[in-house]
Amino acid sequence: MKTSLFRATMGSLLLGGHLHSFAQEFVQDLGSSTIEAESPKQALLEGLREDEDLKGAVLEREISTTIAETIRNEPDVAIRSMGPAAARPVIKGLSGSHVEVTEDGSFCGDMSATSPDHAVASEVLTAQKLRVLRGPNILLHSYSAAGGVVQVERKDIPFSDSIFHGYVAWYAESGQPGIATAVGANAYAMGFSVKGELSGRRMRDMETPEGTLENTDIENTGGSVGAAYALGRFRFGASYRWFESAYGIPGGFIGGHPDGVDIDLWKRDLTVRGLYLPANRSGDTLDITARINRYHHKEYEDESVGAEFAVNQENLRIEKSMTNLGSLFGLRFGAELDSRSVKMGGYVFTPPTRSYGASLFAVASAGGWRGLEMTFSGRLGGEFFRPQESVVVDKDAIEDRNFALWAFDAEFSQRVGIGKFLTLDIFRTTRAPTIEELYNQGPHLAAYTYERGNHKLDAESGYGTEIEYRSYGELLSWRAAAHGTWFLNHLAPRASGDTNWSQLLPIYQVRGDEALLFGASASVQTTAELGLRASAAASYVRGIFRDGDWGDMPQIPPFKFHGELGYIWDHLQASAYCDFALAQNFVDRYEEPTPGYITAGAVLEIRWKLALAKYSLVIRADNILDADVRNHLSRLKSVMPEKGRNFSALAKAEF
Amino acid sequence: MKFIKTLSVALLSSVLCAFFAACGDNNSTSTDQHEHFEVEGWNLYWPNWELAYSVYRGKADTSLEVLKVNANCMSEHISIKFLDENKKEVAGPSDDEHSLGWEVGDSKLLDIHWEGGWGFHLKGIKEGETTLILKVNHHGHADARTPEIRIVVDKSLKADECPFQEDEDED
Repeated sequence: MKTSLFRATMGSLLLGGHLHSFAQEFVQDLGSSTIEAESPKQALLEGLREDEDLKGAVLEREISTTIAETIRNEPDVAIRSMGPAAARPVIKGLSGSHVEVTEDGSFCGDMSATSPDHAVASEVLTAQKLRVLRGPNILLHSYSAAGGVVQVERKDIPFSDSIFHGYVAWYAESGQPGIATAVGANAYAMGFSVKGELSGRRMRDMETPEGTLENTDIENTGGSVGAAYALGRFRFGASYRWFESAYGIPGGFIGGHPDGVDIDLWKRDLTVRGLYLPANRSGDTLDITARINRYHHKEYEDESVGAEFAVNQENLRIEKSMTNLGSLFGLRFGAELDSRSVKMGGYVFTPPTRSYGASLFAVASAGGWRGLEMTFSGRLGGEFFRPQESVVVDKDAIEDRNFALWAFDAEFSQRVGIGKFLTLDIFRTTRAPTIEELYNQGPHLAAYTYERGNHKLDAESGYGTEIEYRSYGELLSWRAAAHGTWFLNHLAPRASGDTNWSQLLPIYQVRGDEALLFGASASVQTTAELGLRASAAASYVRGIFRDGDWGDMPQIPPFKFHGELGYIWDHLQASAYCDFALAQNFVDRYEEPTPGYITAGAVLEIRWKLALAKYSLVIRADNILDADVRNHLSRLKSVMPEKGRNFSALAKAEF
Repeated sequence: MKFIKTLSVALLSSVLCAFFAACGDNNSTSTDQHEHFEVEGWNLYWPNWELAYSVYRGKADTSLEVLKVNANCMSEHISIKFLDENKKEVAGPSDDEHSLGWEVGDSKLLDIHWEGGWGFHLKGIKEGETTLILKVNHHGHADARTPEIRIVVDKSLKADECPFQEDEDED
């Protein structure tokens, strides 16, 4: 049995008594003589990060209406919203195209990054795992090392040899009265496997402490079918996923449509994937994924179509993973090609545009020097924009643009004691402007902003660093991190001082400014698997522009805290929690400060096994005191508070 | 077992067929992009072409008397002209897609009587003071709007005492 030093020392790296589950897997492997030990293919830190994924019981405890709501308690995560449906994660104060959302490793084709009223086209109840990707691995999917990637895993293509597996999940809540259900199953026989999944969600208008927030209902349906075949060392698979959503955006806020806007969208994803697994190196894989995405989105104001978007996107991704390369114990590299066409209708003041992207990426991990592990990653490529003539845009602004992009990330993680790690991450972040940032020349109805693009923009770029300390102890595990990014050219719409006199709206012009974004986060939790359980987490970020003078960046979340205290029995877990956010008074021009809030809640979880099936029941009471919660990143904060007292239940059976 | 194999092959083939078919699929928009009717100001005229209200780049002409109408009465016809970026008067769009829209601050005090085109009558309901926002509607959406225009609804008069009678409009 070939055992690497890394694997053999895992037990001693982490203190006895409690082993982190990532370490436990290694130790269990070591105990089995039938398993051929393999070298690790990624840094230990990455494994520890994977342990923080939201999956299984943790995901069930946190699950809510949207992906953003579900990951709300993760470090450095906030929610940008415009009603409960249109909620998108914000990471370290960065939103929009700084934060990529992927489904099963490929892009989630929607328009959620472009406007606050656009929902993420993905049903959270069907997710098996949610991960906020951090560190060098961000560059496997995005150039935006300063932001992050939110990965949704469903395994639509069932590369699984589980003979039969299925689940039924049901979710209901009172804060936005309604239910959501999901059912899925996969089966395997003689090298063939199939998977099918269906989901539905119907929720009425959101209840707030000040009454019902009209036009916030959500109706989603979705599903997927997938099949895979194993032929020797090859695996082939394909899946088809569809998602439809009808939701409301409330009106009544400054500049908004008095009756709000109704949005209908649908998304179709066709994915084919091939894997090659070499005979003697199970960690070495060649993975080819192609996805065709179709997305359609209509916004109705009264009866007429206010805005319409049709997106046709194709993506090809080739990735090779290698292990057993001596001290360079993990290497992943590959290439990605992307073609995207966006057509607009109604009152959208961006020309139809085709864009193309090509990139090379690599992540390499090395270790073995007295507890020092290093991970280097890079992404190099280009994005090319080809706008078409349109009646809504000046001809002068229709200009082809090409962007050469490169980003790197170097992470040094030093073991400074038993179960203690000090990590320094240094990166260059970049991104190409979006088509809206380049070419838009008018208001957006539902979001009711008047933003002008700038076709002369350069790519966003900046340099950043993060220092993190992690400690895994017998009683407590904790981490603390501080981060800072100096943007040489941060792209954002800024108040231009001009007004559109027809609409009487201030004009925001997208431009690149120097900016500094810095913050910190910390979390601590008890490690006992039975008995008293406690956890706490806090995040803070501040953003400032250097625009002649220093000025605060808009849409920066305030300091927030989440603390939880509970008790774990064999099949039962009960906990109470408290959340608070401080007032946000660091605001950009034309942006209103937001008061702080404090809320409390309780969670009861019951889990048991019976007749080859696992059952879970999670009952939550959120915002028990019906507190007036205003989200600084919500445009509706001037109209109504967030969801009030909310009782919810998740029931799930897995067999 | 055979069923799963058959189902897998059928699903895999279907998805692959759909995949290649989707490459040529044309998901497009059903609505054309709409051009905005852009104006920078509004002039409202009484029938004798005396200026009733004027606003340019958000600033109203305060030298003009506040717009008034009696409760239970209709005002004289008010015509609208728009101002471009050079403060030059331009007519409103003549197509069917654009129309006059309005928002009354307190609909218990004031209503608008509109018979098409770029003009209207104020219709007083109850004595008091309210506001009016005029809009250029285009497919149900406002291309342009005025700031809030102050309107005074004076005391109620009997129909035959109203300064303006509806049939005068036809003359």
